[in-house]
Amino acid sequence: MANAYYTCNLLPIQLLASAGYSPVWLGNRLVDPNQPARREALAVHPMTCPYVTQLVAAAEQTLANGPTEDCLVVAGGCDAMRRLGDLLLASFPGQVFVLSMPRSGDTGAQRFLADELRSLERWLTGRATGTAESAAGAEPPTVDYPRGPSPGGVFVVAGPLSDASFLDLLGELGVAVSGLESCTSPDRRQALAGVAEADFSSLAAELLRVGVCPRRSTRLRREHLRGRLDAAAPSSVIYARQSFCDPGAYDAVLVAQLAQERGLPYLEVEIGFPFEASGPLRTRVEAFLESQLLDDDLLDWDLPAVGTADGKE
Amino acid sequence: MPGMADVTANSLSAALIRGAFLAQTRWKAMQARTARRYMELHALSASLDLFKPGAVVPWVSYLFPTELLASYGLTPMIPEIGSATLTGSDLREAVEAAAARMPLARDVCSYHRIALAAVENNMLPAPSMCLGTTPLCLGKECLLEMLAVKHGVPFRDIRVPLPPDDGEASPAVVADVADQLRALHDDIGRWTGRKPDLGKAMRLSNRASAAWGRVMSDRLAGRLEMNGRKTFATVFLGQLLWGTEAGAKDFERLLTERGRGDLMAPTPLNGGKQRRLLWLHTVPHHDKELFNLLEQKNAYVVFEEMGQMHLEIIDPDNPFPGLARRLTDHTLWGTSTRRAQLNVALAKRLKVDGAIHFNHWGCRHGLGSVPVVRDAFVEAGIPFLAIDGDALARGGPSQEKSLQQMESFLELV
Repeated sequence: MANAYYTCNLLPIQLLASAGYSPVWLGNRLVDPNQPARREALAVHPMTCPYVTQLVAAAEQTLANGPTEDCLVVAGGCDAMRRLGDLLLASFPGQVFVLSMPRSGDTGAQRFLADELRSLERWLTGRATGTAESAAGAEPPTVDYPRGPSPGGVFVVAGPLSDASFLDLLGELGVAVSGLESCTSPDRRQALAGVAEADFSSLAAELLRVGVCPRRSTRLRREHLRGRLDAAAPSSVIYARQSFCDPGAYDAVLVAQLAQERGLPYLEVEIGFPFEASGPLRTRVEAFLESQLLDDDLLDWDLPAVGTADGKE
Repeated sequence: MPGMADVTANSLSAALIRGAFLAQTRWKAMQARTARRYMELHALSASLDLFKPGAVVPWVSYLFPTELLASYGLTPMIPEIGSATLTGSDLREAVEAAAARMPLARDVCSYHRIALAAVENNMLPAPSMCLGTTPLCLGKECLLEMLAVKHGVPFRDIRVPLPPDDGEASPAVVADVADQLRALHDDIGRWTGRKPDLGKAMRLSNRASAAWGRVMSDRLAGRLEMNGRKTFATVFLGQLLWGTEAGAKDFERLLTERGRGDLMAPTPLNGGKQRRLLWLHTVPHHDKELFNLLEQKNAYVVFEEMGQMHLEIIDPDNPFPGLARRLTDHTLWGTSTRRAQLNVALAKRLKVDGAIHFNHWGCRHGLGSVPVVRDAFVEAGIPFLAIDGDALARGGPSQEKSLQQMESFLELV
């Protein structure tokens, strides 16, 4: 059975499976970093986010070495991802489909996305060699909460995460996670698992309702994040942003404002893809978390009153 | 000599200085009598009005059809043009310092970063509405909507699907975009309480388009050789004037030798053969070193990709389909393959000696297409160079590297 690799967790994997493909998130097929670089490898500009950079390499490796029945579906949500699709389509003609994603969620946007999904289905079935399957054999992102979300913990906002390493790091530092807002989060995955393929219009509407990611309308995103923060009841917020990510850059400003409105300590860190808990990053997160504990400790202190030796006024 | 800081304040003395500053610019224009000088005057004059109390300030994206605003007598505030103007003025240091203090990541497009810092620090007027288009990039949509949310003003974006690599966008797509433009035009009237005259704006825009179209076809046919860098700077500023009487007259000035006198191609050094280059993407606005080097090496930019704007005449009685088509099939929009095909064809038609792509800082749309564009030029046997830089920078760490790359490239071609 041929694989249909995909770049975005928002894609309805049931659509890929129904067309006879095994859906595989491309983030699960990253190139081994120890593998020597090839001179003729596809190159992207260094001012490109690590996610896109890694996916270009992963796609080139999987498509070049796999059967020609395999394909790749790129959700062209941001400029960098759209250009990734362009590059791979030029390199692997007939094997790549770029799905345009609207920003807003209005009826025009729903109609537009429904048309895009219809085109995708036509393209998939037109080149498929397998028979319709269930999505049970899919390989989605594997990020999960180390322990269930805990109110009072840290709320993490991030772009795509390769795995749960960042959440594990917080656990190692003795802090619970109150929620994860990421396109690879289990919350997103679970919400999408229930999206049935009734008709393209309702599918598009549902995808736009669920997938309120940083590239979407600021107003929608603000409402979405408000709801998530209020439900998660966190004690602080960390934004794990990938460098050279435009939607992430503007989203981080929005999240900082929401944290400030709630009086929550906020930290923005730059992370790579795949995630690596480097020394400086670990130290920054540790210092941020410790500063909160320190504040709490200071509040709890029974300070002696000024003026008398025994602390009595 | 007053500076930008003096003319953008909201006081009687600022108004007087503004008047004196404009008079001086007008005097320069009257002396030169060139399209470029008059366009500077009219763009400056219209933009300074945006600082007046009670002014309606529509922040719009670079490709937004500004005739929809001219219909209501409104001048657009285009972030890219605002940023380029401020960083070329005596407010440069202040706006750069403000941008450095902002929480927004430094790796986003500098046009947008500077524009945000400027509006947050009263160096550009706050928006009354923010209007975007899907082309060209997502970053400016994020910027415009963020500003709209912050200032509590309306935001609209015109959703424009990607055109096919070959041929035109379908009539259904054009009709959908036209409907969005029509609804937005009505909304602008509702928000401002003004009466529209889109027919007049379109007739004026068409006059400008007819003139600009003639200049461009003469350039493409080799009948007219203009300096692409200076021409781009003029058209860039002209974005503020489409659909206005001043804009129509200024573009028509390009039809006379005197009117385009300061935009012509340089004369060859020592009578030698000049190398003619195609420039892709934006240009460094304030950094003259690269272009000085070109002159020293007897080379110049004969044509600029971004000058290909507003070349169509649009039916003034039913303008929305034409305005929509201008967006859906814009040469700067579409896939990397489309961009590569269009530019290779352009390079062949112009018989250029090479092409330069300017990788503007933080522009994922532009630099993301470079691998495909480069391959297409290499396949066509046309020398191609991509240089990194910041369109708003003066000097800086990347300049030296770019100069070396350019020097080697010119030796090659």
